[in-house]
Amino acid sequence: MGENYSFSLTTFSPSGKLVQIEYALARVASGGTSLAVKAKDGVVLCTEKKLPSLMDVSSVEKISLVTSNIGFVYSGMGPDSRVLLRKGRKKAQKYYRTYHDPIPTAQLVKELASVMQEFTQSGGVRPFGCSLLIAGYEESGPQLYQVDPSGSYFAWKATAIGKNQNNAKTFLEKRYNDDIEIDDAINTAILTLKEGFEGEMNENNIDIGIINADRKFRVLTPTEIKDYLAELQ
Amino acid sequence: MSGSSAGFDRHITIFSPEGRLYQVEYAFKAVKTSGQTSIAVRGEDSCVVITQKKVPDKLFDASSITHLFTITERIGCIATGMIADARVLVQRARYEAAEFKYKYAYEMPVSYLAKRMADTAQVYTQHAYMRPLGVDLIFIGIDDEVGPQLYKVDPAGSCIGYKACCSGVKDQEATNFLEKKYKSNPKFSVDETIQLAISALQTVLSVDFKPNEIEVGVVTKATPRFTVLSVEEVDRHLTLLAERD
Repeated sequence: MGENYSFSLTTFSPSGKLVQIEYALARVASGGTSLAVKAKDGVVLCTEKKLPSLMDVSSVEKISLVTSNIGFVYSGMGPDSRVLLRKGRKKAQKYYRTYHDPIPTAQLVKELASVMQEFTQSGGVRPFGCSLLIAGYEESGPQLYQVDPSGSYFAWKATAIGKNQNNAKTFLEKRYNDDIEIDDAINTAILTLKEGFEGEMNENNIDIGIINADRKFRVLTPTEIKDYLAELQ
Repeated sequence: MSGSSAGFDRHITIFSPEGRLYQVEYAFKAVKTSGQTSIAVRGEDSCVVITQKKVPDKLFDASSITHLFTITERIGCIATGMIADARVLVQRARYEAAEFKYKYAYEMPVSYLAKRMADTAQVYTQHAYMRPLGVDLIFIGIDDEVGPQLYKVDPAGSCIGYKACCSGVKDQEATNFLEKKYKSNPKFSVDETIQLAISALQTVLSVDFKPNEIEVGVVTKATPRFTVLSVEEVDRHLTLLAERD
């Protein structure tokens, strides 16, 4: 990493702050809102996907599979998230090859967080300009984590990142309860996203991914999203 | 949280206080310095790319000046911006496509090639040792499963599929023109697609082209090979377009 740069670009300011990381967080906060809700029988990831009319909506995937039972969504810089997606997938396969067991969500989160931290300290690189929300399902139940450009990670019951994160989190706090079920969680997620949404929300400008007890993460098709939106009318 | 940058955020790709990457933004501006405008459109069973062929000096060998490149037999691309940087990326794309064919024994899909090129571009936005390249690449090809595909890769490392896209100096005007044409979700035939591309370029540049002043690259379902139209074929389309209006 950093062929000729042997020094870090992320250095301490006199007040003890790592400003490059703060700026990276500013970049995340200006990206499209993504949010996630953990139900007692699954997790839902949801994001806004606003694209100009000439773009082919089907070519843009904000929610991706890392393994068949772990998915993630990002807010911030798409290209940076692709790097993390690729590294995450590789690490998951490596784990499987060693242990012949799918990688636990927490382990994957730790690996990705470690990568993100590396880029805040290694020579000649800048931090990642995206935060990730990672959802999985294990023996112990549904899992939801957030990973930040600094490399810190947090487990959540429900959270939001991106432009509207503060309002969305307040909204979620009011509506969340520990016994929420997955279908309810999906509706809550959509309503939360709708709160801060500019313009009309339809099946082409949001993405939803869910994982439940069958342990298969999947991204909903536009038709399925349309059904959920219709239910809420 | 508001801080002042140490001044390097404009020189290498580190974040500015507002979370911007100035070097990447400047790379976008560099795409426009060449004064070129390129347009690409996707029809029902074809894709067309077009750009002006500006030969600055009569002494130039016009056949050596081109912004259209064949990546594989079935994938073509148009480069907008700094032509030297473009050649680096084209070489890389050719290598990636050839290696894919060698490893997996089938043709690399356009979407995947575009993604690989975008990932390469992203590396330059994160590592200080290389600057981002001042080029937009637009890839076209016919995918066996999905049909005509059109992808744009930019200096920031984004890779997005389009129904129609533009790049260069007049990209905004061209985008506005095309948005109107695509609003009704039309199904363009091969000839209609080619003529749409030509008329879009003529409109935004306010010029009526002669056949040797534009370069047009085409892929169709019937002929998936990436072909650059000859002067005669371009002439035929220009005539048809003029008669239509």
